Amino acid sequence: MIATVDAQLGGQETAPAEDLAGAALSLARRFAAGATMWCVAPEWPAHGRHVAVEFVHPVIVGKRALPAVNVEGADVVRALRLLARPGDVLLAISSAADLVSADLMSRADAWGLTSLWLGAGPRPSPGRADHVVWVEGVEPARAARTGDMVLLYHLLWELTHVVFEHPGLLRAEPACTEEVCITCSDEGRVAEVQAVHDILGAEVLVGGRTETVDVSLVDPPEPGDLVLVHAGVALSTLRGGLP
Amino acid sequence: MNTEPTGFLYPFIESEERDASSLVADLAGSARAKMADSVALRTATLESCGGLVQRAAAEMADRFGAGGRLFAFGNGGSSTDADGTVELFRCPPSGRPLPAMSLVDDRAVLTALANDIGFDVVFARQIIAYAQAGDVAIGFSTSGDSVNVIRAFEEASRRGLLTIGLCGYEGGAMADSDAIEYCLVVRSDSVHRIQEAQDALVLQLWSAVQDHVPEGSQS
Repeated sequence: MIATVDAQLGGQETAPAEDLAGAALSLARRFAAGATMWCVAPEWPAHGRHVAVEFVHPVIVGKRALPAVNVEGADVVRALRLLARPGDVLLAISSAADLVSADLMSRADAWGLTSLWLGAGPRPSPGRADHVVWVEGVEPARAARTGDMVLLYHLLWELTHVVFEHPGLLRAEPACTEEVCITCSDEGRVAEVQAVHDILGAEVLVGGRTETVDVSLVDPPEPGDLVLVHAGVALSTLRGGLP
Repeated sequence: MNTEPTGFLYPFIESEERDASSLVADLAGSARAKMADSVALRTATLESCGGLVQRAAAEMADRFGAGGRLFAFGNGGSSTDADGTVELFRCPPSGRPLPAMSLVDDRAVLTALANDIGFDVVFARQIIAYAQAGDVAIGFSTSGDSVNVIRAFEEASRRGLLTIGLCGYEGGAMADSDAIEYCLVVRSDSVHRIQEAQDALVLQLWSAVQDHVPEGSQS
């Protein structure tokens, strides 16, 4: 009766084990640089609490406590906008259909956060988070209870601590050196509107930094809206989140 | 004892490593092995506990049918297992929602009891306050030795609740307790693998309750 990750390993485009390995490397590097991991699980609050206590109070004596905080309640987006700092990590555990998680994942880059999305069922569209670890081909609400979801974050915790045993790799943050770097390239970036001054100028948060951009090409945005910004100009409004 | 050693997998740790690709491959291999372990333990546990789960579920369904409620409790990660059990029974993916409460939900009650009396009574005192003879108590402790969980079971048993315990290792003190009618033991010494198997057990228990619960007796 349990649908398991085991059954998924052959049939999935990307296997959870490989995705977990990449996510753990990234997470360990962020922790080493001083990050806090913010955890949300709006559909299954117990998983958000569980993953946070896993990192804060490890089951293996001697493993370091790492700052992971579960956030739940009426307005998680507003709470995290206040709490999270650029360089932190945002972990969501949910189905792809969860609107709060999807909204947070859309904002992560603007806030300067590394995004990590663990879940089950139909996979989110590509690029929705920096790391997506997914159990496909199962009914999400059921998969959340088989032990698969807790297995994913148990392994995320364990692999993260293995990376800590490799200090040389903790320092090896990918550097912005080539023209393909999204920060410096021609690609647009998602920005969150903070304040609108007039038709020409709005303050937006992009990559965790405040910039002033031209908003004359889009419908008048409001604080909290997401816009796609390129070369100092907002090109489109992303109401209702990203596709 | 370190029950999940990882160092042996990576004996030659070099502080000047720069290429992460071989580490990432090792991490993925380790994850795949643990996934296989987890699946094997879950499958074996559902098999070995299947009879107990079915009998416990039938009794639970009778109690729900007669207006009984479920109380769940545990510490740390096990508190989230209690929360998850309540989520599953109260907001099920299918079937009938059933009345369930988590005894770790109310931080005012928890901290009041812990501060004024001690942590050993935080669940037992809530059982005294809330529970009635037709109710059900489900407690989680991976070691099987959590004092506050065992004291809650003793109180629940005295009051005529149906008592169901989930634990790991060899069952600890819970396996020997007369206060626990159905003790479901996940035979492993890894806290992580035990918790994963406990999730699967709770799903099996919930599913069997749904099979048994009378139509239209609760809403």
